[in-house]
Amino acid sequence: MRGHRDLRIACAAAVVCALVGLLLPVDAVRALFVVPLALLLPGYAVATATFARRDLSRPLLALISLSLSLALLALGSLLLNYTPGGIRALPWAILLVVIVVGGCAVAARRREAAGPAPAWRWPRPRALALALSLGGFAAVIAAVALAAATVPAKNAIGFTELWVLPSNGAESEQAQVGIRSQEQHVVPYDLLVRVGSGLLLRRSFRLQPGAMKIFRVSALADPGGRPIPVTATLLRQNRTDKVYRRIRGWLPPPGASR
Amino acid sequence: MEARRSRPIHAQHSDTGPTAPALHLPAIALTTGLGVLVCSVANALSRATLAPSSLIFWAGILLLALPIVYRLTSRDAPPLERLALVCMLGLALVLVKVVRDAPLFTFSDELVHQFNAGEIARHHHLFRFNPILPVTPNYPGLEGATSALVTLTGLSPYGAGIILIGAARVSLAAALFFLFSRISGSARTAGLGVAIYAGNFNFLYWGAQYSYESLSLPIFIFVLMALAERNSGPREWGREWAVPIVLGTAAIVVTHHLTSYALAVFIAALAFAYWFVRKDWRWPNPWRFSILAGVLATAWLLLVASSTFGYLAPVLSEAFEAIFNTASGEAPPRALFQGKGSTIPPTPLPARVIALLAVALLAAGLPFGLRNVWRRFRGEPYALIFMLSALGFFSTLVLRLAPAAWETGNRASEFLFIGLAFVLACSGLVNLRTKAMPWLGRAAATAAIGVLLVGGAIAGWPWDLQLASPLRASAEGQTISSPALALAEWAKRNIPEDRRFAASTANARMLMASGERIALAGKTPDVQDILIEPALSGWELPLLRENDLRYVVTDRRELSSDATRGYFFTEMGDLAGEKLLPSSAISKFGAIPGAARVYSSGEISVYDLDARR
Repeated sequence: MRGHRDLRIACAAAVVCALVGLLLPVDAVRALFVVPLALLLPGYAVATATFARRDLSRPLLALISLSLSLALLALGSLLLNYTPGGIRALPWAILLVVIVVGGCAVAARRREAAGPAPAWRWPRPRALALALSLGGFAAVIAAVALAAATVPAKNAIGFTELWVLPSNGAESEQAQVGIRSQEQHVVPYDLLVRVGSGLLLRRSFRLQPGAMKIFRVSALADPGGRPIPVTATLLRQNRTDKVYRRIRGWLPPPGASR
Repeated sequence: MEARRSRPIHAQHSDTGPTAPALHLPAIALTTGLGVLVCSVANALSRATLAPSSLIFWAGILLLALPIVYRLTSRDAPPLERLALVCMLGLALVLVKVVRDAPLFTFSDELVHQFNAGEIARHHHLFRFNPILPVTPNYPGLEGATSALVTLTGLSPYGAGIILIGAARVSLAAALFFLFSRISGSARTAGLGVAIYAGNFNFLYWGAQYSYESLSLPIFIFVLMALAERNSGPREWGREWAVPIVLGTAAIVVTHHLTSYALAVFIAALAFAYWFVRKDWRWPNPWRFSILAGVLATAWLLLVASSTFGYLAPVLSEAFEAIFNTASGEAPPRALFQGKGSTIPPTPLPARVIALLAVALLAAGLPFGLRNVWRRFRGEPYALIFMLSALGFFSTLVLRLAPAAWETGNRASEFLFIGLAFVLACSGLVNLRTKAMPWLGRAAATAAIGVLLVGGAIAGWPWDLQLASPLRASAEGQTISSPALALAEWAKRNIPEDRRFAASTANARMLMASGERIALAGKTPDVQDILIEPALSGWELPLLRENDLRYVVTDRRELSSDATRGYFFTEMGDLAGEKLLPSSAISKFGAIPGAARVYSSGEISVYDLDARR
């Protein structure tokens, strides 16, 4: 690839981007490197190999690079699906680097007959133009940040989740009774849990919005080898005349899992 | 046209040397960014349940679009600036969708594809099972492409998905610009054509969602562009252009069924147009590519995606039946701007007027566009196809009057609108001028495209869903989730991955996307009736057992059957109009021996049919 600076840069960029994608632990930084590796370089390599003897305009080359990269990603996953490793980071990185290096090698060989591609020149933006563009970019960043932020929704109706499940899988002799508040305000609760026919647990507590509390209960006596019902009843302290939630789970009889 | 053909390819698109750039583009970049910000503010107010005026949102749309369009109407903007402007327009309109929903997908199809992408990331292979839309894993192009970004960056399918859709949108805008400029020989016409295309009904929301067509359509337009470039150059270039055409065609075939069929049909029509114009099947007639697209699409359909028959056949047959019934008077026509449910608010009159005005503008511009295209480009096969597409678009509007056919018409319109956009860009409105008002044509064209953008968005997406609804909210400094999302988060935390759920449409989609659990909904198998009937029939429990559906999610809100509206918090003002299922539709599951209600969040309950092992 001697004499083809753009191809050398493309190959080097592909290797660096792939290594960063595979090795760096910070997702956002990895994304900055992987996006050109996935969405630009493969298409660029194939386009330069295909049109090595044509003087494509830069915008057209950019479009072909982007569109072909999208097409190659769609087709590449199909290829990786039938490789032993399947669709994982390492096979993807290898495939993309192979496409880029292979494409650039073909482009270099075909170009040599037609002469090297002209060097790219970049326009120099004015300070005001740069400031305006950065202003637009900043507005977009602010828009996305605002969109990703959760905002108070006073008119949204809150609620509380209550569940009862075996603690650690189906064979567990413990049950977990969970409460999670999705309410708008701190809410005081009373929880009553019956295991079998006896009241095992009674708790009063308050939950912040979004907070969760888990209680673990287990059977005290063997009811004769039968599953034991676990009934959880939740009341809101300001409305104790009314059952707010009631659910039921079952525990296997003690010793059933041994 | 011959002169245009003989010009070297770079000369047409690269009068873009490193001269000092004007301030138009940076200034427009600023207004575009501000427009997106205004849209984001409108959505944030809507998520905050403050019922903001939708005028804020539409003002944002116009702020981002109109400066771009006005600049596109000018005579002095260089082609590269026009290209940058159309890319900016396309991307900004994707960002309008992003700021509506971030950081979660909320469109019904997005949740299906997010699940597919998650399955690939979790299991490292394509073609995993999708219970809601079983056909989608058979077209894994989008999710496969997403997997590259997910696995290499650690981003979520959402993050990777919006990057991919944004890139696809830029590709669409640029490819359409090159296609139109190749056919018309004018960058100005091309820029206007792309801006008009942005007014198609599906551009703002449907076409920006994380769904397979959002990737396949840009590649479709890229292939059309590549064909146009191939056919305009010398024959020896043909082999070179075949590479992107073949790769693009193959990518479309593995990405989306309808687009692959549309591609085969479009290239076949183009081949006939070439024959019609030149009476010759030889170079540059593209009939070989039509056969290639047809063979690949058919092979994929037969060998990989045979379930597509079962997916598309009912849609098309129902559409035909609806057209027949409506035309014969056996069924009433579908009312425009009306949702399915009685609780869905109607589209306000001013919004209806703008949507109808947009259609009227399309119709008004059509004869002028057709006349000009016929006069100037009738020797160009693409132009003939574009004229037919433009006429075809108006026939799809008629389909909107038939209840089961409107979706078919709606989906066809985004392909046919390509031709309509070209024809309208040639209508000559932009050249209208008087001595007193030399700017008249530019202003009129800008205003018309503004109406198209707003009217198209209103016609293409339900009015009550134009702005975001709360899926998450902050309360006393913490984050709370909507009932459907909370259910999905609970299932992800507490229910083993191999357990399956029966749920209503919205809950099932949320369970799959955010809960990463298998959930069945709808009619096949008939989970829908099991959930809404007041008592259990003999066939229902065996069907649940047969499909290994251990958990049944009941939801008293009828809205949970709505795949577009069932995910969000209920708001105070909606309570009075909220329709609920009878309590017996829920409590019947408690009577099943061995079953127990193991989760409750109020309207939503989860029954474990095998709780008493």
